[in-house]
Amino acid sequence: MITLTNLSKIFRTELIETHALRDVNLQVNEGEFAALTGPSGSGKSTLLNILGTLENFDEGDYLLDGKSVKGLSDAALSRLRNEKIGFIFQSFNLIKDFSIFDNIELPLRYRGLKASDRKQRIEQALELVGLHARRDYLPGQLSGGQQQRVAIARAIAGEPRILLADEPTGNLDSLMARQVMELLEQINQRGCTILMVTHDPEQARRAGRHIQIVDGQLHDSTLYQPLAAVQGA
Amino acid sequence: MSLTLLFKSLLQRKVITALLLVQLTLTLALLSNSVLLSSQAYQLSNQPTGLQLDTTLAIELKPTDENLIVHPALGDLIQRQLAALRQIGGVRHAAFSNQTPLLFGGMNGNVYVEGKQDTTNIEMVPYNFAEAELFDTLQMTLLHGRWLSAEDKNTDNVVITDKLAKQLFSDSHLAIGQQTNGGNIVGVVADMMYQRFASDQYFGLFFNRDLNRADYGYRLLLQVEPQAVAAVRQQIYDSLRQVEPEIDIQQVVSLRQLHRDYFEQERGLAILLSVLSGLMLVVAMISAYSHALFHGVQQQNEIGVKRALGASKQRILVEVLSESWLTTGIGAALGLLASYLLQQQLATVISLPALPLWLPLCGALTLLLCVTIATWYPAAIATRVSPATATKAL
Amino acid sequence: MDNLLHAFALALRNIKRAPLPYLLTVLILSLGLGMFFSNATLYYWLNHDPLPQKSHSLFYPQINSVLQPCDSCTEPMRVLSYQDVQKLSSSGIPSAQAAMFQSAGYARLPGNSDVSPTPVRLRVTQRDFFTLFDVPFLHGERWADDTARRELILSKASAERFFGRSNVVGETLRLGNELFTISGVLQDWEMLPRLYDVANGLNSARSADIYLPWETAFDLGIKSNTTTMSRDERDYSDNFAVNGREGQFYQAQFWVQLDSPQQVTAYQQFMQQLVHSEKEAGRHPRPEANRLTNILDITEHFNARNRQLDAFALVSLLFLLVCLFNASHLSLNRYLASQYEFGLRRALGCSRSQLQQLILADVAVSAALALFLSLAVAAAAMSLIASLLPATRNLTSWNPLMVLTMAGTALIACYLVTLYPALRASFGSLNRQLK
Ligand SMILES: Nc1ncnc2c1ncn2[C@@H]1O[C@H](COP(=O)(O)OP(=O)(O)OP(=O)(O)O)[C@@H](O)[C@H]1O
Ligand SMILES: [Mg+2]
Repeated sequence: MITLTNLSKIFRTELIETHALRDVNLQVNEGEFAALTGPSGSGKSTLLNILGTLENFDEGDYLLDGKSVKGLSDAALSRLRNEKIGFIFQSFNLIKDFSIFDNIELPLRYRGLKASDRKQRIEQALELVGLHARRDYLPGQLSGGQQQRVAIARAIAGEPRILLADEPTGNLDSLMARQVMELLEQINQRGCTILMVTHDPEQARRAGRHIQIVDGQLHDSTLYQPLAAVQGA
Repeated sequence: MSLTLLFKSLLQRKVITALLLVQLTLTLALLSNSVLLSSQAYQLSNQPTGLQLDTTLAIELKPTDENLIVHPALGDLIQRQLAALRQIGGVRHAAFSNQTPLLFGGMNGNVYVEGKQDTTNIEMVPYNFAEAELFDTLQMTLLHGRWLSAEDKNTDNVVITDKLAKQLFSDSHLAIGQQTNGGNIVGVVADMMYQRFASDQYFGLFFNRDLNRADYGYRLLLQVEPQAVAAVRQQIYDSLRQVEPEIDIQQVVSLRQLHRDYFEQERGLAILLSVLSGLMLVVAMISAYSHALFHGVQQQNEIGVKRALGASKQRILVEVLSESWLTTGIGAALGLLASYLLQQQLATVISLPALPLWLPLCGALTLLLCVTIATWYPAAIATRVSPATATKAL
Repeated sequence: MDNLLHAFALALRNIKRAPLPYLLTVLILSLGLGMFFSNATLYYWLNHDPLPQKSHSLFYPQINSVLQPCDSCTEPMRVLSYQDVQKLSSSGIPSAQAAMFQSAGYARLPGNSDVSPTPVRLRVTQRDFFTLFDVPFLHGERWADDTARRELILSKASAERFFGRSNVVGETLRLGNELFTISGVLQDWEMLPRLYDVANGLNSARSADIYLPWETAFDLGIKSNTTTMSRDERDYSDNFAVNGREGQFYQAQFWVQLDSPQQVTAYQQFMQQLVHSEKEAGRHPRPEANRLTNILDITEHFNARNRQLDAFALVSLLFLLVCLFNASHLSLNRYLASQYEFGLRRALGCSRSQLQQLILADVAVSAALALFLSLAVAAAAMSLIASLLPATRNLTSWNPLMVLTMAGTALIACYLVTLYPALRASFGSLNRQLK
């Protein structure tokens, strides 16, 4: 469902050019749970942002469900993100002034769902992450692990096909981290494709697939399909 | 974005919102009241005057030699001056009077129908010395009876204005032949704006008599060809000095200038308040602008998250704008109330008409427009923030 | 000292970091303060007490002396007749008393009859005028008594205008067709507001050029050029020396100085007795309406307040409020934006008092800037007001005390505006900010 061909990303600042990604080729199939690892500054976040269409790229192409995202308008990209992609950030990124409920509701509103539909989905998502009782809390009143679970609930409430998680457990202790991992696995089992950046080798091992990035280049340790095969697919 | 959410986020930022609301409320209150005052001043200055404002000139003068301020030397001097003024090209008519229409101060007295002082007495009516030519000089319109002629000199005959006649006799044609304490009425002329602080600004009483002493100076009035006004004004001084150097020409003004000064207070206050409301709008715009700017920067992360969750740039723009619309809306509603309160307060100090509802409503719309314009630019900047950077962990 | 410098350096750096929002904040504050200052200046000059040491003892008596019967006329005339003045002067109670009115005339040096004369503002009055209002003499002295005399007292400016010098006591000046000796020259003197002439609404006009004895004016037929009212059929353009003194010709103001409450009561009783005996003599047909008004209440008494300025004062106060709210809103935003930095500072061991110092430095810098700008705004606003409402033209000067007060106001305003935001930024819970 995700296909990157010869994708490159260069950050240009006044002083230097950073080749954050060079010639990346990647194919991710429906239902995969892939872990992205690599040293700091290697381009993991950049790759995830590009996959989430938060960042554009300089060369190559990115096909999502067979369709190139190149040249899509801002509105089209926004809809794409809203409908197909869920994000989980290392720093949770909940909106401080909104209650848990309102935070989760936000993407559903953007999609234009009816209030009753929204409510139902939010309940389900809250049920899944086990925070039903705290629906009216503000993010500041929750612990880090709870906040991250809210963020996950927000990401999955819209039933996205892809979940992009950038170090989701980076700010959590190991117990919390394990809980979050279990949650993600559970979500994956329901058919959601997950790409997760992690520094934890154990987490990487638990994922179905392990992709390593070094200096903006991919080393896929499990499945690496040659370009020709991708094009044939 | 939904209204409930907007409200919630406003409530979260209680203090900022309260500050903003107070300010919007006061701005609107002030805005509508100064428009009210300006429109009042405008209406006042557009009342009919019954006068040829641009082509009538008034000269205020006083002899500096005391031998000249007494009758008959005075009467002789005035006639020589008028004769000289009539020689100036472009002067159509010239006449003497003791006071000028539209000019504060002068000779006022009460008027009542003889024998009916209790029921008809009117205080403060301008008493004007008037010779035959004053009629043409002020371009008066005769409504009933006749104007004063040379034969009326030092007689009891008087002419009054329409409004005064109506006040005294309920219908102005009934005035002819009636006897008042001021004299016997022989004519009624159309209303002219005379003395603002008299009982009524259209009251006037005219009689033909010799001026015994010019302790307060006297006035020479000219009716001039429209194209010759400037040229005539230049020649007046020389012409009068040639007749008699021992005079002090205090001022030469057109009735237009006097008319402008007549409502000086109202006009001045209206302009001041308009300037102030202009400043208020600027202040409201600055505040909306900086609010949106700061807010945008502060909310970068929030906007980034929203973008990641699938909000388009447009949607974010609408969200930011609708927040300022909401505050402006609430402010406007409060401002509506405040407008009426301020109107009441001002009305205790100065005369002020009632506030029509459309005025604060229009004010609110103006405010909304200004706020929108001022919010637009920073809001647009805020949406331009890359969501990738904005969502990065600190 | 070092700390203070550091604080100021930081304040400046803070400004440099976000100059636009900062300048806008200060600008808004200055607009509000400036408009307020301009109004406060006018208001101050219109309402301040010009004679604080003796204003409590100056009174304006009135009696309802008009001879035409009128039962509904319960307000006395604003101005007095010669007869009124005579009667009200006869008590012997006040420590000083003077009747007066304003007039105008033409003056010239006796020699130059071919030069056209100079228009002059006259005040016709009695010798106690100069005591009542503490008018300082530069040369010579006031008239010896209140009888008619051909003696003038000049303002310093007019002495210099006619003679080119100020010590002109003993010189002669022609006023109208009469020759006068100059018996005194005043120091520069203005009384603002000119409360003794409020009856004519002239409280912000300039002082007279020449002072002329009261009886002399009646002898020469010199009348007031402001409010005059006659209530009988006499011809006042003829034989004013008699008619003006005997007839019901109202034109004068009359002031008495009553130093103690006992004197005030005594004078009130005197007025009552006077009216009663007048009534008995059939010379007071109208209802008794005695008034004894203190100089500080006279503006209100004659309903001579400048309503336009009152309205504008109200509105400019509101404007100041708006600007204060606005500026504090902006500075709240500014401080919230640097909240993180504040939190960090405190985490690094900056004490609250040190933080307060930082804030105070910020306030001081803003206040200085705001004061400067607001004085400019105020000056501009006052020249606009003066051109729109010419009656206020003489009320626009500043004395050092006023400027100092304005500086204080600016400082307080800046502090108020910064106080809440700064408190919130610096005393908010640490962990929340750094989370
Ligand atoms: N907005 C940007 N402008 C310039 N350079 C950038 C930008 N974002 C990232 N980079 C550079 O791109 C490279 C890759 O950054 P990226 O954030 O993808 O690293 P990462 O693998 O996620 O590292 P970490 O594990 O520390 O999060 C880095 O060298 C970084 O300096
Ligand atoms: Mg990263």
